[in-house]
Amino acid sequence: MNNTNLNDSELVSLYKVGNEEAFEELVERHKSRVFTSIYLIVKDKYLAEDIMQETFIKAVNTIKRGKYNEEGKYLPWIMRIAHNLSVDHFRKSKRFPVVVMEDGSRVLNSLEFAEVPFETTQIQQELHSKIRDLVQQLPDSQKQVLIMRHYMGLSFHEIAENTDVSINTALGRMRYALINLRKQMKKYKIAYDQNFYPR
Amino acid sequence: MTKTFTQDDVVKYIYDSIPENEKLAFENAMICDAQLLDLFHELRSVKQQLNKIQENPRKHVIKNILDYSKSFNLHSVKK
Repeated sequence: MNNTNLNDSELVSLYKVGNEEAFEELVERHKSRVFTSIYLIVKDKYLAEDIMQETFIKAVNTIKRGKYNEEGKYLPWIMRIAHNLSVDHFRKSKRFPVVVMEDGSRVLNSLEFAEVPFETTQIQQELHSKIRDLVQQLPDSQKQVLIMRHYMGLSFHEIAENTDVSINTALGRMRYALINLRKQMKKYKIAYDQNFYPR
Repeated sequence: MTKTFTQDDVVKYIYDSIPENEKLAFENAMICDAQLLDLFHELRSVKQQLNKIQENPRKHVIKNILDYSKSFNLHSVKK
């Protein structure tokens, strides 16, 4: 059966009755969003991987124990778990700081990552690293909305609920975040050029 | 009555959050309003850049998750 045409709710229903392929599709479908969101919060690839595992393990435990009751809202649910775990780790890391290199890897583990590159050229890596830096430099309220809307895929309504602000405030923060990023990208001459950076 | 669109509507538009029945009106408004159109191009460009920094975890991370799920019943029995 081809699971790629099914929506998240249908996949969760199949997974509840033991269809592991449905879960595999859910993980594949959202791995990039979940991982990038976590990474932007904790700024450490290894820690982001650990938290991602933890996130999905919590999801497995909840669904397989029959405690999942977020019908139709799988993505916001898994993102909420990821966000909470990331913030928890971020708080702990302030007490036990880890030295992180510019590309987000830990100093002591850089050799291992060098053996498994992220399939991008050095120039692209530097560009992506710069864009991540610019995101990190945004005011917290703007960064939070940006991560929630762009990477977590939450609606402005859901963001407003999660952050206790009005939808207009959430929208305004997103607008400021994008405009601030654009200004900084211009300053650092980061321009969109599909020919230079083909996808 | 003609609806006036704002910069926030540009954000909603590029993030597919504008109501379906307002889309066409918004697109027409952009054609007539150079400032809205410029902002649209600028913000869409930022969105494209943000898409590029999406990353994936290493393969073994995904394998660990899937293995955990497959062996979940074993974990439960042990407990």
